Amino acid sequence: MKPEASEDKGRVEDEESAENPSDIVGENLVVGYGAGENVIENESMVAEPGKVTALVGPNGSGKSTLLKALANHLAPDEGVVSVDGSEINDLNKKEIARRLSMLSQESISPDSITVEELVTHGRYPHRGFFETMTKEDREAVERAIELAGIEHLRNRELGSLSGGQKQLAWIAMVLAQETGVLLLDEPTIFLDLRHQLEVMRIVETLRDESDVTVVVVLHDINQAARYSDRMVVLKDGCVSARGKPEEVLTEELLADVFGIEARVENTDRGPRIEPLRPTEDDG
Amino acid sequence: MSADHTNEETTADNRFNWLFDASLIILAATSTAVVVVAGLVQVSFGSYSMTFLEAWRAVFNLDVILDARVWNAFLFGGELPDIGERSLIVWNIRLPRVFVAVLVGANLAVSGAIFQAVTRNELASPFILGVSSGAGLAILLTLVVLPGLTIVIPLIVGQFVLSTSNLLPLFASLGGIAAFLVVYVIAWRGGTSPVRLVLAGVIVGTVFSSLQTALFFFADDIGVVQNAVAWTTGSLRGTDWEQVRIALPWTVAAVGLAVAGSRQLNVLLLGERTASSLGMSVERVRFALSGVAVLAAAASIAVAGIVGFVGLIVPHMVRNIVGSDYKKLIVGCLFAGPALMVAADVGARLGMGVLTGSEAQQIPVGIVTGLIGGPYFLYLMRRQQNMGEI
Repeated sequence: MKPEASEDKGRVEDEESAENPSDIVGENLVVGYGAGENVIENESMVAEPGKVTALVGPNGSGKSTLLKALANHLAPDEGVVSVDGSEINDLNKKEIARRLSMLSQESISPDSITVEELVTHGRYPHRGFFETMTKEDREAVERAIELAGIEHLRNRELGSLSGGQKQLAWIAMVLAQETGVLLLDEPTIFLDLRHQLEVMRIVETLRDESDVTVVVVLHDINQAARYSDRMVVLKDGCVSARGKPEEVLTEELLADVFGIEARVENTDRGPRIEPLRPTEDDG
Repeated sequence: MSADHTNEETTADNRFNWLFDASLIILAATSTAVVVVAGLVQVSFGSYSMTFLEAWRAVFNLDVILDARVWNAFLFGGELPDIGERSLIVWNIRLPRVFVAVLVGANLAVSGAIFQAVTRNELASPFILGVSSGAGLAILLTLVVLPGLTIVIPLIVGQFVLSTSNLLPLFASLGGIAAFLVVYVIAWRGGTSPVRLVLAGVIVGTVFSSLQTALFFFADDIGVVQNAVAWTTGSLRGTDWEQVRIALPWTVAAVGLAVAGSRQLNVLLLGERTASSLGMSVERVRFALSGVAVLAAAASIAVAGIVGFVGLIVPHMVRNIVGSDYKKLIVGCLFAGPALMVAADVGARLGMGVLTGSEAQQIPVGIVTGLIGGPYFLYLMRRQQNMGEI
């Protein structure tokens, strides 16, 4: 995904090295929304470079909040986030956007913009104020459209697309940013099964064929188990488990964190859970 | 992942490819035609009677158009050479009014388009962030508190005379800009948002409008009141090359910045969160773009007062035709704004004459734009299911 050696001397320089996968680290993060209690209490999180890390947890466990802190959408009250060894506070906004991209849960856009125009906006951090699209920008847009599998939609207006098609277009936009770190906040929520699989196939391609470090918040534990290399399980703003899916996903953890009785089965596509019933003691 | 789509055509990147859009070209051509026709009507009528043919011949009089001294007189206030009576009336009295209308229309339309993106609301106008109320209050204050003011500033060569009438445009614009800054200060709390800005605009607008209305009670003669009404509803009466000279530099600057900022506007339309993750410094860009829009509005206020509805309707009409890509939208506004303004001014200048038969009567152009604007929105409301968010 990332451009190899950069031949564009005059343009905005991509500082990150192309050889090593990027890493993103959040250290001792305390995150909240101003008044009231903190949502994340002094947690650290390291995404393994070049791998897919899934953040899971019940509603209100703070998984989206943690992602927002990593994406610099929320300033943590304490702690630091760093990408590729640079603290995020030391970088300007365009530098950040050239290193990490974030797809929020719900995105808004004018209805009459075409898919290709939307994807082109992904090149924003790579362009100066008066710069036109270079060959490189166009190639990045093409790669993103191809990877998202939406060639057939490129000239359609966003307003005419289904929810799933729209989501693929948005994913293509963040892919066009060509960052080392990609953060996705519940990318499959509200989508039909086919589009969920299409979205997760993109994540799978990134995992298998690129060096992009992906952190994805997922609601569906089975999806997380199948597509991630690492899982981080959150409960009440604290990490209760982290590691490989098959190590993390145990019947005890599901009972403890999610309050469900479930059966965990190990398959060749990773662990599969079958939720049975809510546990008795949870109030 | 190869990029085999990238053929010669796309690599030969052209900054202006998007201009060749059928709907945009049709819009520009139609608008230009409206401006030309309405402009020719404007120059053909007036107290000095001449036939259509005589008037049009004067407009296209090459001796005038190609004479550098004439343009020096028009644009830089130099001495006007003798160009003949008809040409003088057409070029020095009637045409400047058309040109001012063009500038005002372009400014208001671009300003409205920017504010609609900044607030993500298609019902926003150039005056949504308090500009009109600030300008209105400044106008009333100037007319009521400083009615017969004359300041003579002696210079080495001659003297510089400042009177109420030539300070008014400056004060009106500054009042609008000041109100905008007050709105921003009120809306600011570690950052701002479209909703906070609009609310602050309503707050400032309400208070300033009340003060403005209160000041009407202190106006002691009907002339002052009429003058104030003309300024606060917007009028092109009595505009000449002086107004073109005032508005032109600001218009060029504002329009240039708006065109340059159109990609920022497009990204801003994706919502604050997305714009921010794409690396935009949203607050800074929003303030800068609002500043450009206020500059455009202030330039139009300085020469025509507060003309309503143009900045609201035109971006809306253009969006329905060319879509919401701001590169096309801004360019479309540059054509459609003048068209509406010049056409409305025909109604303002000549309409009363047709209705009442007395040629001396003129109404402020802002009344005509309001009369056009209301029904247009009624039509939209009937036709479109949901209006509001872009």
